[in-house]
Amino acid sequence: MTDSRKPQGAVASDLVRRAEEAGQDYEVGLESLSQMQLAWRKFKGHRLALLGLTILGILIGVAVLGPLLLPYNFATIPLPDKIVYEGRPPSAEHFFGETGGLQRDVFRLVVNGARTSLFIGFSSMFIGVVIGTIVGSIAGFVGGFVDNFLMRIVDVMLSLPVLFVILVASRFFGNGNVILIVVIFGLFSWMGISRLVRSQFLSIREREFVEAARAVGVTDRRIIFRHILPNAFSPIVVSSSLIVAGNIIGEAFVSFLGFGVNPTTPTWGNILSNALTFIPLGNWWWPLFPGMAIILTVLAVNFIGDGLRDAFDPRSRA
Amino acid sequence: MTKYIIRRMIQAIPVLFGITIVVYGILLAAPGGPTAKFNQNPRITEEIKEKFKKAWGLDQPIPVQYCRWMGFCNPENVGLQVFIGETGWPNFLPTPISGATNGVLHGDFGFSISSGELVNTRIVRAALPTLILAGVALFVWLVVAILMGVYAAIHRYSLFDQAATVFAYVGFAMPTFWLGIMLIFLFSGPGLNILPAGGMTETRLSPPFGSDEYWVYFGQKPLEALSDVGWHLILPVFTLVVVNIAGDSRFVRASMLEALNQDYVRTAKAKGLPGRTVTFKHALRNAMLPVVTNIGLEIPFLFTGAIVTETIFSWPGIGRLTIAATNQFDYPVLMGVLLISATLVVLANLLADVAYAVIDPRIKF
Amino acid sequence: MTETISATPPLGAPPDRDTLLEVRDLRTYFRVLDGTVPAVDGVSFSVGRGKTIGIVGESGSGKSVTALTIMRLLDIPPAEIGAESEVWFDGREILRIPLNVMRKVRGKDMAMIFQEPLTSLNPVFTIGEQIAEQVRLHLKTSGREATDRSIEALRLVGIPSPESRIKQFPHEMSGGMRQRVMIAMALSCEPKLIIADEPTTALDVTIQAQILELLKAIQQRTGSALMLITHDLGVVAEMVDHVVVMYAGQVVEQGTVEEVLLDPRAPYTMGLLESIPSVEKRGGRLSVIKGVVPSPFNLPPACRFEPRCPYAWDLCHEEAPPLSRVGSADRLARCHLHTSAGDSRRGAALQQHIDAMRVGGTIRDAPA
Ligand SMILES: Nc1ncnc2c1ncn2[C@@H]1O[C@H](COP(=O)(O)OP(=O)(O)OP(=O)(O)O)[C@@H](O)[C@H]1O
Ligand code: SF4
Ligand SMILES: [Mg+2]
Repeated sequence: MTDSRKPQGAVASDLVRRAEEAGQDYEVGLESLSQMQLAWRKFKGHRLALLGLTILGILIGVAVLGPLLLPYNFATIPLPDKIVYEGRPPSAEHFFGETGGLQRDVFRLVVNGARTSLFIGFSSMFIGVVIGTIVGSIAGFVGGFVDNFLMRIVDVMLSLPVLFVILVASRFFGNGNVILIVVIFGLFSWMGISRLVRSQFLSIREREFVEAARAVGVTDRRIIFRHILPNAFSPIVVSSSLIVAGNIIGEAFVSFLGFGVNPTTPTWGNILSNALTFIPLGNWWWPLFPGMAIILTVLAVNFIGDGLRDAFDPRSRA
Repeated sequence: MTKYIIRRMIQAIPVLFGITIVVYGILLAAPGGPTAKFNQNPRITEEIKEKFKKAWGLDQPIPVQYCRWMGFCNPENVGLQVFIGETGWPNFLPTPISGATNGVLHGDFGFSISSGELVNTRIVRAALPTLILAGVALFVWLVVAILMGVYAAIHRYSLFDQAATVFAYVGFAMPTFWLGIMLIFLFSGPGLNILPAGGMTETRLSPPFGSDEYWVYFGQKPLEALSDVGWHLILPVFTLVVVNIAGDSRFVRASMLEALNQDYVRTAKAKGLPGRTVTFKHALRNAMLPVVTNIGLEIPFLFTGAIVTETIFSWPGIGRLTIAATNQFDYPVLMGVLLISATLVVLANLLADVAYAVIDPRIKF
Repeated sequence: MTETISATPPLGAPPDRDTLLEVRDLRTYFRVLDGTVPAVDGVSFSVGRGKTIGIVGESGSGKSVTALTIMRLLDIPPAEIGAESEVWFDGREILRIPLNVMRKVRGKDMAMIFQEPLTSLNPVFTIGEQIAEQVRLHLKTSGREATDRSIEALRLVGIPSPESRIKQFPHEMSGGMRQRVMIAMALSCEPKLIIADEPTTALDVTIQAQILELLKAIQQRTGSALMLITHDLGVVAEMVDHVVVMYAGQVVEQGTVEEVLLDPRAPYTMGLLESIPSVEKRGGRLSVIKGVVPSPFNLPPACRFEPRCPYAWDLCHEEAPPLSRVGSADRLARCHLHTSAGDSRRGAALQQHIDAMRVGGTIRDAPA
């Protein structure tokens, strides 16, 4: 680990060759190749992770294209003669059945919900990672009082039952607006990341290659962006997958309660809002399919997370 | 030991203090403030709003409101008297010393905006159902997770182990509220209809839980009352524990496998101890060390899980109180609930640390 | 968990009554990703009652696996024991008895001291409990008696004020103390055989001598047999009657301690001896055997020592040498020098060793 850029042995020389073939700058190319390429190779050997990646790819495809093919308009309600109280079970025309009440096509709801739910899951994670990285870097780099202060804030935030606070915040500030909901989830998703980044700073700051880099006059900025953050990359990516999964589930719950996204924009949570009142009618297909969509997404993300953890773990074999 | 606990309590004070600021900040920063709920109501004039604010002390500057809520000061008084309690000691000291009774520090969370009752009354009323639900869930969670994890570790790669792995993945991915909904469909829907869909008691048979009449009924028919609650607990508890069991059974398994691989386990075998003793005395005791810490860290999820479960199953506890208070912008209740649950989380973490130290002789205070 | 051998061929005759332990053709394999590897490959030796035997060899030669197989402490799978292997202990074949019967032997008649004193004691129990537990189990004593016996055992291994020590946890003791506790534990039920697997490797040099002396004293006092595993021939010279030298899972030489140390016949043993610093060899350079023990994944085709052997010739690369008699019935060496094919080379080789021992020197490369 003293100099990760120095090629060693057959694998390294192979990498050098590849880097040169790719016409890349030797130094830069090698650094990213040796770590990323190796991780990718291991990741490719992880069957569940590949399955997760495939599922997620399909879901993202549905989220992007689905609403174009099957547009949803809240104001469009079925013709009056079709309005009956009870929903209808899955059929050739509506494979996921129809909801009770407004007789909406569950398939259309799930397809349109995919866009919002995935958007909220991923973009709130992104906000969380950015905040967490900044806070963790400041704490780890500055140290002392600042570090102490920031970490106490993290303690405070972690002692709060987060979903609870998000629920209240969504109700008070959210206004049913997707972007605001994303921001609220993001603002409560950074604590774990900041601890990870900080501990990377603390452990790597003392390592030889950073000392050496500093000794030859490399600037702090360069050390942070070229050495420390790339090293923090793998734990961040792994815990990001957990954040995405958690936030998709969390948003679904908050929207289910009616405190999250307005029903004009379907999400996998708010389309279940009225499902409970239809229990005596036994309309099982209504909650079933949106729930399966959530489970599938979270499973896919968790599989990818597991794959990434193994891929980045130097002790695991390819 | 006592010293250690006291030190940890003192360390928890700034965290708890921070929590009050965060909680207060979140609620007061809301656009429109506490009167936002009147915005849709055409009969409420600006005048009425002002009166409302004055009545609740919401016309004061925010720091003053905060200090009053906390019980640092007594804004009714004048001059420096503001900070002095009835006995002449500073207001923030405990009631027996300062004579002050206002504010969080003196156990007073004010009045509920929506019902006019004391926040304490509402919280205490809702606490018992939540404690019952969370307590039973915690017990089931720990017992099942540990048994499953240990069994899976001992019979690694067996059919049970593989089934437990699948369960762990799916259970971990399952939204709690959705599981609750599906279970109600399954067991209380028109098909099976064998378990109650919600509530804590059978309304046709017993008075509402917690009312005076209920306790009279309880005194008369304790067994029936208990079994009634137990019957209503089945689905909520199941719903609440699945995620935790899914995660922790894997954690216990990994920890147990690690313990089983240690040299001292080989020593125990070499001594001729029966397999049971080796596994359940030598390995399990060590495997429990990380598990205890992990459980301490997971206690907050029990709270959030309880909120979710109570909503789905109409369980008359803190979770439902929270949702109702959120809906009605009932600040004092929300602040009380948030602060109390955060305090419990801090205490649970402390308890986990103490428990860890008790079972690991290597840790000295 | 079936920890016994699957196939049970007809067993050989039991050894005579004076023999406490007889290991016959012991083979232990490990099932790994790309097949099975032989960690112990046809090892035989025996130990008389109250006698001492040393098992010597470099790291990776299969000494620990041999001991763990005898104790039946390996998990099957991944380990696998050859169907032809037999281990006779105290008149009974113990590879084939049910595990619950074997448990009554372990810790009571046959005790083991491990290589790693720091991790071999359970960190969450007091040492008193860890010893007493074994006493209660095997001697069916009351708790009080078991405690007294534990204190007695700790006193025997020279731990001061054992009455208070039994309440301590392992982390409160030094490595040497912990190894004494392990020894006390091993002898607490007065076993017939103590297997000590490199009991001093993890300890300071000064402590090493104390522990070895202690082991020897206890062995003489209690009359237990001792199987001492070590890579140190110096230790062997002081401690044991009989020596088995192992290399890459096989026995390459065995005999009494005098025979093996003063008149070694296998080039591997010669190499080990030449690498010991001593007064006579002053002036010359100390030799070491070049290279390392081959991994059981990738063994040389014929003689396993051939890549490192200074005396090797073409035959050594083509045909595996048998374990042949080089004196009395249990004086054996595995080397072509001691078969008829080696007649012409034997004298020179032995002379070369004698010279090396006298003046020191490096072992020359094998003639091309
Ligand atoms: N559980 C196992 N799985 C696979 N191979 C193993 C296992 N245990 C031991 N081996 C292999 O068996 C061989 C013999 O190992 P063993 O531990 O007996 O050596 P040793 O002579 O005791 O060495 P040391 O002096 O280092 O203790 C080694 O090559 C080792 O890699
Ligand atoms: S058989 Fe040959 S290679 Fe093997 S030890 Fe003897 S001389 Fe050396
Ligand atoms: Mg060994």
